[in-house]
Amino acid sequence: MQADKTLDTRGMACPMPIIKTKKAMDELKDGEVLLVIADDPGAKEDFPAWCEQTGNKLVSIEEKDDDIYIYIKKGE
Amino acid sequence: MAQDKKKIAIVVSENSLDKAMMPMILATSGIALDAEVHVFFTFWGLELLKKNYKPKLKGMMKPFTGMMVKKMKEQNIATFEELRAQCIELGAKFYACSTSMAMMGIKQADLVDGVEVAGATKFLKIALDAQVTLFI
Repeated sequence: MQADKTLDTRGMACPMPIIKTKKAMDELKDGEVLLVIADDPGAKEDFPAWCEQTGNKLVSIEEKDDDIYIYIKKGE
Repeated sequence: MAQDKKKIAIVVSENSLDKAMMPMILATSGIALDAEVHVFFTFWGLELLKKNYKPKLKGMMKPFTGMMVKKMKEQNIATFEELRAQCIELGAKFYACSTSMAMMGIKQADLVDGVEVAGATKFLKIALDAQVTLFI
């Protein structure tokens, strides 16, 4: 999966990964993809909820070792 | 994109470190969810809006504040000041209870910028059509 922008939130605790994601998404155009790398265990539940509420598409979410890779496509 | 804007209305009545962090985390997360966030600070909660205010643990726990702050820092949890600044930057609406201000001798000039002075009626008017209301 090709991302237009990557946001590394490793080391950050709730709520910063989501705040940084919101700010990064605000700068993308519809259809562009943001890759968020997180290691806050809450991210697995927070990101799908955030995408559903904000109308962004959760393309995929996968765990690699202790990190979580989240691909989000802006808008619909 | 998003549906109609949802509203979150929070009352904060205490000034301890734990009660200070919760509304800031909830308010920033609420804004990230594209909701309008309104936070009404009353009684001791009003102190959280004072410039340079450093919340402490409450009662017997007070001497352990430094330890708690250090632990939070080690866990990369944003500080109260950082989260409060984020709230304002992201557009959370902060209200200072006018009666509490008079009672506690706090002036608008003592408070961080971007705070509106309001009464209970204004807050309840907002809360009447909020989907989430919380009391902290």
